[in-house]
Amino acid sequence: MRIVLLSSIVPFINGGARFIVEWLEEKLVEAGHEVERFYLPFTDDPNEILHQIAAWRLMDLTQWCDRVICFRPPAYVVDHPNKVLWFIHHIRTFYDLWDTPYRGMPDDAHHLAIRDNLRALDTQAISEARAVFTNSQVVADRLKTFNGLDATPLYPPIYQPERFTHTGYGDEIVAISRLEPHKRQALMIEAMQHVKTGVKLRLAGTASSAEYGRQLVQMTKDLGVQDRVILEDRWITEDEKAQILKEALAVAYLPKDEDSYGYPSLEGAHARKPIITTTDSGGVLELVEHGRNGLISEPDPRALAQQFDRLHADKQGVATMGTASLNRLAEMKIDWSTVVDRLTA
Amino acid sequence: MKVLVVNNAAPFQRGGAEELADHLVRRLNATPGVQSELVRIPFTWEPAERLIEEMLISKGMRLYNVDRVIGLKFPAYLVPHHDKVLWLLHQFRQAYDLSEAGQSHLDFDDTGRAVKAAIREADNACFAQCRKIYCNSPVTQNRLAKFNGVPSEVLYPPLNDGELFTGGDYGDYIFAGGRVAAGKRQHLLIEALALLPNGLRLVIAGPPENQAYADRLTKLVEDLDLKDRVSLRFGFHPRADIARWANDALACAYLPFDEDSVGYVTMEAFAAGKAVLTVTDSGGLLEIVSEATGAIAEPTPQALAQALDRMTSDKVRAKSLGSAARDLWRDKNVTWEETVRRLLD
Repeated sequence: MRIVLLSSIVPFINGGARFIVEWLEEKLVEAGHEVERFYLPFTDDPNEILHQIAAWRLMDLTQWCDRVICFRPPAYVVDHPNKVLWFIHHIRTFYDLWDTPYRGMPDDAHHLAIRDNLRALDTQAISEARAVFTNSQVVADRLKTFNGLDATPLYPPIYQPERFTHTGYGDEIVAISRLEPHKRQALMIEAMQHVKTGVKLRLAGTASSAEYGRQLVQMTKDLGVQDRVILEDRWITEDEKAQILKEALAVAYLPKDEDSYGYPSLEGAHARKPIITTTDSGGVLELVEHGRNGLISEPDPRALAQQFDRLHADKQGVATMGTASLNRLAEMKIDWSTVVDRLTA
Repeated sequence: MKVLVVNNAAPFQRGGAEELADHLVRRLNATPGVQSELVRIPFTWEPAERLIEEMLISKGMRLYNVDRVIGLKFPAYLVPHHDKVLWLLHQFRQAYDLSEAGQSHLDFDDTGRAVKAAIREADNACFAQCRKIYCNSPVTQNRLAKFNGVPSEVLYPPLNDGELFTGGDYGDYIFAGGRVAAGKRQHLLIEALALLPNGLRLVIAGPPENQAYADRLTKLVEDLDLKDRVSLRFGFHPRADIARWANDALACAYLPFDEDSVGYVTMEAFAAGKAVLTVTDSGGLLEIVSEATGAIAEPTPQALAQALDRMTSDKVRAKSLGSAARDLWRDKNVTWEETVRRLLD
């Protein structure tokens, strides 16, 4: 069928929100569909959002295609009798972040009115959809809480998962992602001062700021863990990533309260590695079951160090968990054919 | 400098304007210090009142993180920005010249006429705020001056692959490239050839607009017993093949009716150093095609036969006209370097 993929962007900012659209596009084309992708600009400045959404709302794609798949807000306000949502997140400052320090605007009558209008029109537009999928249970729950709408998690797979292979279990716990405070590389470095086994930690990725990269390096020196922590503040290519992961002992992914399980977790699972995460990591907990396909620790350096040591001391257990890690993906149906089937059903 | 190119888009349809927009973005990205991205806004132009909403969609968009906008087509170029340059490929012609010619769907009733007025008003307001306006041809430029009273500069779209058209041998055939369509009058060329003595051949190559016209040409060649002298190559051909046909031709021919611009086919021929035969009512071509760079004839088989004879019976003359064509085109400096320079000025 003819399918339009519609999402919003900030011009010149690339990232995960575009990747998921483009990977899906490739898979839909492989499945024999005709696909056209539209990215339209959107800025979430509170005083600009409502009239922008009004503009998006005027868009009518009915005559052009059999189906529209909508991603980032406010793509789902478009007019089409067959719109399907793969809902990634709300405009969160007006939803779950409203009562937090991240709101970024005053809690006054003006902004409350914008918030309530936004929520009402989101509810209206999303309820028109033929089907609503989210990228995680966390986001589905939020749609229920704030909009009273039911949604089904449809877990995003990674691109070309077959690239990730497994050759054995070495000494390294690997964490490859952007180096940034809420991914908590610092917590992992702190944990390394408490380990008792020969476990090593490899942190790799581009730092969100040069300053944060420097801080982490300084931290490894101050804590005297340079012999155990390998820190690479640079872009890691996909090939390098696969190379590093195939010999790893486990992967660690412990962001502070993220919506989804995160691509680093999936990459680890495809490479048959246990996943270490923390009790407050949010969506990762949908994937990881303690002791089965990974370990869930309190977000505390000593507790984390114990889990690191536990893995290093029990390679047999690691192998069992690593296999379970891969099997867990099939159990949760995290694969592209499931995604294509459901979004085109 | 972050440069956003904005264009309209009929979903699932691609043509010269889409190729041009993609190529412009590639060229901008190849320019030191410039980052560029294309935003395509879906455009639905029927029924007439739909056009009001389409204008509101573009006007309701907000751009963040963009230093310069290059707008190509209505109504996408209405997107607000403080530093906007237009490179008009054409206006919404139903509100302008097609209306004047009695060929617009906006003249059927009062609603249509109100929409037409609204389009003109939105255009005028937009044009007044642009940093600079370029048109792709003198025809577009004249219309803009006539209907909107707005001055502009002509900026011809360069060939996307001009390096292929190097010139070559001067063979024994006339090459007629481009879309095969009644409006491009390839049948007149075949009929003209039939009036000339044996020796000169004709190669017609391009995608037929419809099967009926392709069949008509095939039958014409049979009826006139020209199978040995006319080669009909219907279909989309690789650009390298098109270039080879042009490079080795004795001369080229292109007979469109009232073309807006010089036309890619003409540019390719001139770049390859070939004289071009055209007709008195071909429009934009007449800016560069003359008896000094080719031949111009009334659109009849007899007149075209005479012009062909005049242009090609003496190979030395054909070559010298071709050289003059190449020189004239070089002097116009229609290159991507110059185009990018002016658009970023």
